[in-house]
Amino acid sequence: MTAVDMRAREGESAVLSVRGLAKSFGGLKAINDVSFDAAPHQVTAMIGPNGAGKTTVFNLVTNILSKDAGQISFLGRDLAGLSAIGIAELGLIRTFQSARVFPGMTALENVMVGGHRLARHSAASQTLWLWGARDEERRLRRRAEEMLELVGLLPFADTHATELPMGVQKLLEVVRALMAQPKLLCLDEPAAGLNDTETEGLANLLRAIRTLGIPVLIVEHNMGLVMNVADHIVVIDSGNLIAAGTPAEIQKNARVIEAYLGREEGEGHAAT
Amino acid sequence: MLEFVQIAIGGLVVGSIYAVIALGFSLVYRVTGAINLSQGGFALVSAMIGYSFAVECGWPLVVAIPAAVAATVLIGAALAAFTFVPALARLSNANVLMLTAGILTMIEGFALVVWGSQPYAMPPFSGEQPIAFGAILVPTQAFWVFGATAACIAALWFLIARTKLGKALRACAENPAAAGLMGIDVPRMTLLAFGLATLIAAIAGVIVAPTTSLQFDTGRLFTISGFVAAAIGGIASFPGAIIGGLFLGLVTQLSTAYISSLFSTAISLLILLIVLIWRPQGLVQAGIARRQDTRDEVKAVGHAARLPANLGWPLAAFALLVAVLIPFVVTDNGIMSGLVIAAILFMTLMGLDVLMGYAGQVSLGQAGFMAIGGYTSGYLSINYDIAPLLSILAGIGVSLACALVLSLVTLRLRGLYLALATLAFGLLIDSCAIGFLDITGGPSGLVGLPSFSIGHFTFASPRAMYYLVLACDVVILVGLFGAMRSGFGRALKAIRSDQMAAAALGINTVRYKLAAFMISVTLASLAGSFYAFFFNFLAPEMVGTSRSLELVAMLIIGGESTLAGGLFGALLLTLLPVIFAPLAIYKTFASGALLVTSFLYLPQGLYGALVQILVRLTGSRGGVTREPRATNNQVRAS
Repeated sequence: MTAVDMRAREGESAVLSVRGLAKSFGGLKAINDVSFDAAPHQVTAMIGPNGAGKTTVFNLVTNILSKDAGQISFLGRDLAGLSAIGIAELGLIRTFQSARVFPGMTALENVMVGGHRLARHSAASQTLWLWGARDEERRLRRRAEEMLELVGLLPFADTHATELPMGVQKLLEVVRALMAQPKLLCLDEPAAGLNDTETEGLANLLRAIRTLGIPVLIVEHNMGLVMNVADHIVVIDSGNLIAAGTPAEIQKNARVIEAYLGREEGEGHAAT
Repeated sequence: MLEFVQIAIGGLVVGSIYAVIALGFSLVYRVTGAINLSQGGFALVSAMIGYSFAVECGWPLVVAIPAAVAATVLIGAALAAFTFVPALARLSNANVLMLTAGILTMIEGFALVVWGSQPYAMPPFSGEQPIAFGAILVPTQAFWVFGATAACIAALWFLIARTKLGKALRACAENPAAAGLMGIDVPRMTLLAFGLATLIAAIAGVIVAPTTSLQFDTGRLFTISGFVAAAIGGIASFPGAIIGGLFLGLVTQLSTAYISSLFSTAISLLILLIVLIWRPQGLVQAGIARRQDTRDEVKAVGHAARLPANLGWPLAAFALLVAVLIPFVVTDNGIMSGLVIAAILFMTLMGLDVLMGYAGQVSLGQAGFMAIGGYTSGYLSINYDIAPLLSILAGIGVSLACALVLSLVTLRLRGLYLALATLAFGLLIDSCAIGFLDITGGPSGLVGLPSFSIGHFTFASPRAMYYLVLACDVVILVGLFGAMRSGFGRALKAIRSDQMAAAALGINTVRYKLAAFMISVTLASLAGSFYAFFFNFLAPEMVGTSRSLELVAMLIIGGESTLAGGLFGALLLTLLPVIFAPLAIYKTFASGALLVTSFLYLPQGLYGALVQILVRLTGSRGGVTREPRATNNQVRAS
């Protein structure tokens, strides 16, 4: 079924396409021949038990780690050899597992940093207070405020980001990434450390992002959230891709259940 | 050959002392992860106290030397308990390093107040008559130095490797958090490590005293040599410290003998810079790597004070009006000159703020660029009669070229190692300023500079210079203010706190760090040239490493990442000694004490404190300690 699914999806041109990805740490094969796609206008989720290698895949895709083998192409372009900055400039924007808001800056400023890669006016024109630069700055500020409004964080605009609760910080990081107008938004466990209310807020935001047509690749532990928002799910266990499909398909997949719940002798398949 | 052996023995004597001081660096670094620059200060204090007890009070050496060491350790432990230990919990390692630079300045100031600025010579412990080995003469003090060094190394090794206390210290070194959970009192261990390092430094100081002349600022030389030795050898390794010390001692003595005494420091600093490029951890890698949290800087990033917009512009206009009117009120030439100096230094400080306050790049060698700018423009206008304005531009050009070369090193480094590299650069420029006699005039300085002039107008009087520098300051401040409140400033702040996250948003970290560096270098160079033209004279100590440390002190006291804050620091440290001239001897002590106090109790500097007061007085919105306007529960994503 996996193979069929892959072939079906190859028809539409994928935003991100990963083929034969492999990575070893010392003797340990962390990632072994992983291939998957992220389709346009869809939320693609990557799930798997702890230590399965999800974040490693993420770091390989964004070249924070260097891969041993495989090919990663984003919008038809090979990502090999690009720096983290180069990847971001292509429009592949990622967030981090632990909330990494910028300390020493307010929530609004944090979000405005997200818009950095789209700025057209040079630092020199900002130094000279040129009209165009100031106008761009105003527009950026307005857009950042709109973004905060969207997630209900506008009252916190002038609060120092690090003083916000952890859940809000993670939400802020997603909003900051959105400001960069990503062509693919990669979220690394955005719901980790969030309470139920905050997770619900995040789910709403993710649905809103999909409505905007921005494709999302999300690594997540929270099954409820994944089943709720994902269009397509890839499952990784011990560095291997073990399943891919729609949430409904994944929920019924025997290998996935085995990976998550472990196999009990003879009853492995009965547990649905 | 005989001569070589003789020099090498001298090198080993000096090297042993470097090694012992380096050992102190290494010990504190391994237990706390911070560099303690006050090391050499304690060596000096111990030597000075030893001199007072032995020569002035006439105590026998058996009593005087242990008493001096004990007194120094007491002073060190007391200082550490109130400064170093609390600072470790609050400041980033790079800031702790600057705090200890403040402690060093304080100690120097203390020595200046107590012992004055004249040199002292301590008699050797066992008479002046050297011992002859064939044709080779070895001064008796050398045996004391070798013996004390060996004893220190053996005792330290025994303590660390063989005792329970040593185990606790090692646990703090490997993982302070886990050590704390295991019931080890980490602050006490920190204090103990600092005390031990002080003890080692005190022994080194008192033993080496007879071989060198002592002055209030000799401690700085001890610190620098020990620090360079530790950095070359590998700061986290005890054998590295010893090897580095002996190596440095040999290199400096041999190059003094065979090349020139003027360049011996320069050579050792070049070695250090090469080591930093080649393997930043030093020649000897420590068996265990100290855990370096990737986000070490989080602790450092405070909230910069900001004036609410409705107060900002009126206040700025008012301040400008006051600044313009000052020369009509102030008639005293000394104060007027002080104001010009403060305004010139403020130029450097704005650049330093962009570099340190915004981009988070520590620089302990900023005055080095003042020196390059000042000497270049001075040399050109004296020898080639080039118009001052052009010579300033030439100075900036040379500074930028040097900065580009330096950035090959600095762009790869962060935090502690960056501080180290910039300090080494500043010291290198120091020794070049003294060494290149033909260009800089050497220690006695470059004389006969013309006053600054544009066309036929000469800015000869302090008042004319004041308005010129004021105009430059205003233009620079307004420009940088525009840049820092926009995308450029935000990008720098983002890089300061989290390079990886900044890069993931497409911010070109290298380019921005380089830009911040170049801005700071341009302004430092410009200020250095103005400085030289204003005095019609430039000497190495006017733009040396003491100046670099003073600049950092001014910035911290004034308030980081505020741009305007530096002015308060510059005014305070420049004008106070002028206004209270009889108390000028306390200036060094005061600047060190103010730096330490600001780091610990005034994290936003004077500027931040003033903003807070203003905000409270006017009851206006904004400021530094604004509470969130909604509670946790109200923030629910809609």
